[in-house]
Amino acid sequence: MPRRLLVILVASLVAVSALAAVTHGQSGEYKIGVLEPLTGPLAGEGKRHLEGYEAVRDMINERGGVMGKKLVFTVADVPDPTAAATEATRLVTREGVKIVTGTYSSRLCGAASEAAVRHNVIYWETSCVDPRFNKRGLKNVYRTEIDATGFGWYNIEFIAKHLAPRLGKKPNELKIAFLSEDSSYGQGVTESARQRAKQEFGMQEVGSVEYYKFDTTNDFTSVIVKLKQAQPDILHHIAYTNDSILFYRQAKEQNLQVKAVVHAGATGYGAADFGKAHGNEANGVFALLEPGPGFRVEALKPDGQKIEKEFRDAIQKKTGSYPLGAHQLAGGGLWLLKLVLDRAKSDDPDKVRDAVMSLDLPVGSMINGWGVKFSPEGQNANERVQHYMLQWQNGQLVTVWPEEFTTNRAKWIPLPAWDQRK
Amino acid sequence: MDPAARLGSAQIDVVAQLAVSTVLLGGIYALIAIGLTLIFGIMRVVNFAHGEFLMLGMYLAFFAFTLRSIDPWVMLPIALVIFFGVGLLVYALVMRGVIHASHNVQIFTTVGLSTALQNVALVLWSGDYQLFRPWHASVVLRLGNTAFNLSQVVAFAVAVLLTAGLFAFMKWSHTGRVMRATAQDLDAATLMGIDTDRVYRLTFAIGIACVGTAGVLVSPLYAAYPQAGLQFVTLAYVVVVLGGLGDMAGALAGSVIVAGVEVAGSYVFGTAWKEVLYFILFIGVLVFRPAGLFGQRGAESLGV
Repeated sequence: MPRRLLVILVASLVAVSALAAVTHGQSGEYKIGVLEPLTGPLAGEGKRHLEGYEAVRDMINERGGVMGKKLVFTVADVPDPTAAATEATRLVTREGVKIVTGTYSSRLCGAASEAAVRHNVIYWETSCVDPRFNKRGLKNVYRTEIDATGFGWYNIEFIAKHLAPRLGKKPNELKIAFLSEDSSYGQGVTESARQRAKQEFGMQEVGSVEYYKFDTTNDFTSVIVKLKQAQPDILHHIAYTNDSILFYRQAKEQNLQVKAVVHAGATGYGAADFGKAHGNEANGVFALLEPGPGFRVEALKPDGQKIEKEFRDAIQKKTGSYPLGAHQLAGGGLWLLKLVLDRAKSDDPDKVRDAVMSLDLPVGSMINGWGVKFSPEGQNANERVQHYMLQWQNGQLVTVWPEEFTTNRAKWIPLPAWDQRK
Repeated sequence: MDPAARLGSAQIDVVAQLAVSTVLLGGIYALIAIGLTLIFGIMRVVNFAHGEFLMLGMYLAFFAFTLRSIDPWVMLPIALVIFFGVGLLVYALVMRGVIHASHNVQIFTTVGLSTALQNVALVLWSGDYQLFRPWHASVVLRLGNTAFNLSQVVAFAVAVLLTAGLFAFMKWSHTGRVMRATAQDLDAATLMGIDTDRVYRLTFAIGIACVGTAGVLVSPLYAAYPQAGLQFVTLAYVVVVLGGLGDMAGALAGSVIVAGVEVAGSYVFGTAWKEVLYFILFIGVLVFRPAGLFGQRGAESLGV
């Protein structure tokens, strides 16, 4: 009896593994590594970033996957740079992935990419904006989103070309103050904005540039008092989230009046939490982002229109809301990876590199209205990765600039008194 | 008015606003530090999970308000009872086993508790920043050109009351005397028939009740998220050392001093300098007055 049992057991094991082999061959999975901060201070955004990836992964699989195989993820939680490095290494050495993507944050992408390329795999970053990321001479590292210097570039473009005329001033008559959290993200945006504001437009910088730690700042009185003394027209504030909520509450209490507040990125004033915390009092604040409500899909190329609509529906179905910044960065970035793999038909680093460099699509070609043109350093170009200025209007961030891409118009310029921002 | 005089009045406004913000911020720090100094002083345990109980208090207030429309001020007495119970429970489950162990074991235990609580919060309530606005959070009182937030004024008032109450309790009540005796000499206290386990249990529960209540009070002012405790708790250690371990009034004074260094230092030197400044203060106190600014010499080993 035991022997018979053994025979049955062995036979069934063989059958199961044969079946597994067959189904594996049929579906043929292609696995990539995904690094996201799913615990720790960046967990909220990391979760949304992953949702964006998952939505686009499903869209890709509906179209036959990548390289003829079904795209699947192996996800690792990377709350801090140390975890980013060790998990990137683990995904490559243990899980055997040839492509690693992530990470949402500028605090994580440097360490993660460094570890990945050491094992000669492709590192595909879809959102961190640290300007140093593509300046380390790493060959197989790519970034689909613009870097912080691009954010600063767009912000000053908006201030000089849109806000200045609406305030009835020439750009060189504008007084601008800079405030920022102190990560490479905040510093990168702020320093590039300062440079362009001064050199290209001759704007007047007032007050001293203030950098602060976003996670331990409990009071902004000293900053607000100094801003009241400097009296800027424009406050250029790069914030992380908690800090924007606290700063704005205290600015209101202490009656700090500026003509406009301009931010960049999906954190701080660009995050949903800010709007939830301040409701209609958030009215008028600007954040440079991916497209939001009011975005005219018709302004895109036909291919871009189709994919953008499909992406919005997928996110709507998954989360019940219009795509948020983290969704869009991940979604746009992963879609771009699909275009590259379609062209390379391989995950060989050299073939992928050739495919990346040969892609040349104008603005409006894909999700978020982006185009593609990578530099040899592996950075998608500022002018192709079209960015948009959004404004808080009655509890919602809506697209207001460039005006050809949107049905909404910027309001509250200059910002009225605090009790009149309704 | 001539320009010089106008400049003068503007300077007065600046100093006044900085002073007001210092006092109010100090009140928040004091709320957090009082429970810590009590546990520190009586039990000689550095509770690294202190900030997480603050975070739990913030979430309690958030859910009470959003799910049941209960104002945080109404929640105060309820939170006091709930967190007293939480303190008893955590003591029984976690602290009791390590109370006579070495400091290393205690540190590992409370750090572990801290990480565990943060991640439980993350799993249950996600990493999103949760803020709600009861009516008093948007009431701003003005005196001259300075602004006070009503929620913050009340938090400060409660901090003062709590400090005074605990001070009186420790000084004049029988239980307070028993607690001090336990802190001063564990063996002698045991020989006098004091149930030291009960004293520790009570101390821990009171400490947690204080910080949980603090969480409820600051919830209209700061967003709740799993790491919210970390935003305040390193400061609370500085405050406790500054004020002297186990010294209630010292904790209140230490809080205002730390807040003053933070607010005035940020104004004069720039925000980036604030942590440099108060940690210099921290190290200075450790070197020159290890018993704290107001503590008696030798009190660091006595605890009171």
